[in-house]
Amino acid sequence: MSASAESLCRHCLLPVGARALRQTIGGENCAFCCYGCSIAFQVKNGRTEEWEAAWLLIRLGIGGFLSMNIMLFSLLIYGGVFTGADARVLPTIDVLLLILATPAVLILGGPFLRETLVEAARGRLTASALIVLGVGAAYVYSAVAVAERNAQVYFDTATMVLMLFTLGRYLEAAGRARAARDLAPLLAAERENVVVVQDGAEISRPVREVEAGMLVRVRPGERIAVDGIVVEGSSHADEAVITGESRPVEKGLGAAVIAGSINLEGSLLLRSSGGGTATRWAQICRSVREALIRRSPIQRLGDRAVAVAVPGVVLMAALTVLYWSQSLPLDRAMLMGVAVLVVACPCAVGLAAPLATSLAIGRLARHGCLVRDAATLEAMARVGLVAFDKTGTLTLGKPRVVAIETDGVASAEALKLAAGLERHSEHGLGRAVLSAAAEGGIDLPPARDVRVVPGRGIVGNVGGGIVAAGNLALMRAMCFPVGASLAASARRAEANGHSVIYVGWGGETRAVLSLDDTPVPEARATIDALRARGLRMTVLTGDLAPAARRVAAALAIEDVRAGLTPEDKRAILGRHRWSHDAVAMVGDGLNDGPVLVEADVGIAVGTATDLARETASVVLPVGGLWLLPWIIGVARAVSSTVRTNLLWAFGYNLVALTLAALGMLQPIIAAAIMAGSSVLVVLNSLRLERLPDPVAPQVPERVAAADRLQAAPALSAVAERS
Amino acid sequence: MTYYLVVFAAGFAGSFHCVGMCGGFACALGRDPRGHGATALRHLIYNCGRLTSYCFMGALAGALGQIICTRQGAALTLFGGSLDAVERALAIVAGLLMIAMALQFFGLLRVFHRLTVGFGGSTFAMALRSLLASRHHAAPLAFGVFNGFLPCPLVYAFAAEAASTFQALPGLLTMAAFGLGTFPAMLLMGGVGRVLAPAWRQRGVWLAGTCILALGLVTLGRGIAPFGAHMSHGLLAGHPA
Repeated sequence: MSASAESLCRHCLLPVGARALRQTIGGENCAFCCYGCSIAFQVKNGRTEEWEAAWLLIRLGIGGFLSMNIMLFSLLIYGGVFTGADARVLPTIDVLLLILATPAVLILGGPFLRETLVEAARGRLTASALIVLGVGAAYVYSAVAVAERNAQVYFDTATMVLMLFTLGRYLEAAGRARAARDLAPLLAAERENVVVVQDGAEISRPVREVEAGMLVRVRPGERIAVDGIVVEGSSHADEAVITGESRPVEKGLGAAVIAGSINLEGSLLLRSSGGGTATRWAQICRSVREALIRRSPIQRLGDRAVAVAVPGVVLMAALTVLYWSQSLPLDRAMLMGVAVLVVACPCAVGLAAPLATSLAIGRLARHGCLVRDAATLEAMARVGLVAFDKTGTLTLGKPRVVAIETDGVASAEALKLAAGLERHSEHGLGRAVLSAAAEGGIDLPPARDVRVVPGRGIVGNVGGGIVAAGNLALMRAMCFPVGASLAASARRAEANGHSVIYVGWGGETRAVLSLDDTPVPEARATIDALRARGLRMTVLTGDLAPAARRVAAALAIEDVRAGLTPEDKRAILGRHRWSHDAVAMVGDGLNDGPVLVEADVGIAVGTATDLARETASVVLPVGGLWLLPWIIGVARAVSSTVRTNLLWAFGYNLVALTLAALGMLQPIIAAAIMAGSSVLVVLNSLRLERLPDPVAPQVPERVAAADRLQAAPALSAVAERS
Repeated sequence: MTYYLVVFAAGFAGSFHCVGMCGGFACALGRDPRGHGATALRHLIYNCGRLTSYCFMGALAGALGQIICTRQGAALTLFGGSLDAVERALAIVAGLLMIAMALQFFGLLRVFHRLTVGFGGSTFAMALRSLLASRHHAAPLAFGVFNGFLPCPLVYAFAAEAASTFQALPGLLTMAAFGLGTFPAMLLMGGVGRVLAPAWRQRGVWLAGTCILALGLVTLGRGIAPFGAHMSHGLLAGHPA
């Protein structure tokens, strides 16, 4: 936990990466991803360490004051003001420039120099080494020139390059801070404070000290930090982070609230139902933090390229100076070398991926979708085929009465008697019968002497006669004969993959109830949306072929493979991976663990236990299948943003480097270009903020379905484990 | 010399506009507990920082104008000599900009206001606040430097004017004259606080608008008028040569 906390930048909450900047602020060890972030952090937290924060800005200000004065004089010199009779004042002006430049270089260049030295001690050359080298060369050359009363000095280059880079980093930090604003609440679960009501007094306490049974006060607009029950007040809550439900949910007396949701308009008093760190919310925060820390393959590639590039650039600068010094005076050649060093600074490469991916991970998490790492997002963008498990994924996993065959009695009568019995049953099929009766508006008759026959069914006295409901074995045991037509329809139903309940009374089997699993209401819309995104789909299930085909037909999926063992599924996925760039498998995560691992992207619906076990790499909230097309859209947007960023950063560097080596670029312009490049990459990544939110398909049953599924204790297992 | 006096006057008049935004900062910079002398020094340092930023912008704008115009180093008179096409275009752009700014001062154009306020952003101003609280001697300097870059239509207008001089030195001097023009009001603000009645501030804003409008029209005239020479010899004859 502490190791992971250290690897995120203290200011922008993004991973610090290989070139972390470590500082002690207010007695606390802080890691920053860049110099700009360290300044921004100290400025933002200026209230506690006022002096230190202000001192950084003062340094920037003084640096700016000095370098602007230097620039003023330089502009006048370049503008030809000190020519002719005024030329004699030039040496004096040079000395003045030296006096102005020395503190400016020390003040602005200090952090770069420190970073270079620290990294050099570890045997690494970083981007700041290039700046230090370039600026140092320009400064030392100019100082020597002043001593020798030489005409040309380049103090303006030295100071302006530093100023522009510092400014660029500061702007970059501001952009990153903006990106992190969305992320911050997702990382704060354990750090949050809650107001605990004890003996009538309200005390603020860290959420990790909250235990079950404590009373917690939540004010309007605050994030609810614990799971609990409302004991006082009423309000609405925004539970999008946990359930993906974007509409406010009413919270009255006795309603359960989920940690991580936002209390909208009313003040609530809650009784905590568990420890403060054992919530799904805390788990989400933990997994988001872990996702941020893992670097994506494409970013690792970029980092490696930078590591190779830095010494190469130094070499190239040396060659540039060497080459041009043969035909030009040394100072001009040196200036070209400085331009090469400055323009090659690969700051933007390091920014290309982390900002975009962390924006996306935070965005997904805010809608309850957890992604294991940045690499998953990359794979997700490449997915060409989505394989679905049937039960619990495309279907609700809950049977429903779909047909009632009788030997002539009214089907309502059969349902009524069966339901009267099944009221006393815990069996899943029994509950389906009950809900069918409730839908039909049937009043349940009282039942006496009810006996559950394990593995067979249930028997009892309903309305004065013995009634049995169960399988064929029960009918035989009860000596209730089954008529030929009933037996035929039962066989037909079973061949179709339906479950069958025989209902008998009066010494005979009178009816057969067929039960079937139903598709998730929003499944059709989801499949259509995926198809619109150019994806192929297949169903891989262990169920019987007829049932699988029926569901697939309802959802318009042509490719169906039924009766598969988990090994079969893995083999089929393996084959698909030959023909598709990447394959995703969607399962309920309970039975499909090994299969989900086999896919490039394993997507579990409604359970995050698998995220922790590393079987699934994406977890959707309960009833969140409809989010899948949106997630793929986000992944694709991120992927293209990262690609554009890298292309831009590398391409830009390459073109500018060539120009600089050819002596066509002034160092100051080069510095401005590089600082601008970083800012552009940040801005391009921030465009991801404008991605549309997921839109739930208009299915009236969706909310009800989600409510029915709410009971699934999705994350408690992981929370206990960790 | 007359030209710079006009700019100085415009700056002085315009500074009543500054009082609204920067005056607040100057007030916040407050008094030094070490006495009146220290307080005066503090505000002087702050204004020096501001002036440096202005001068830098002026020189930069002038140099940019010079780079854009191919005729390097050619002496430029306001109403004499022939201006080539690029210079004319620049003068027209700068003139139009200044007129737009002036209209905004009269409350006739709202677009620029949104542009200037939206730009820069509140984060920058927020960061500046921590500087105000600092007791460090150099804090007012740094504060002034940043303050100089705060988005302000008045500064933009004069930067445009500086660019239309097509040389670093006149550009610098233009902005310096403008900056010095804002000195009295800003120093006053620091010393006596917000004693100025809003009505007077409003009059100042109108005065500033008139000055900028006049300068803008003259600059525009330089770009449009066929030879310019016959336009006016008397009014602003002292433009730097």
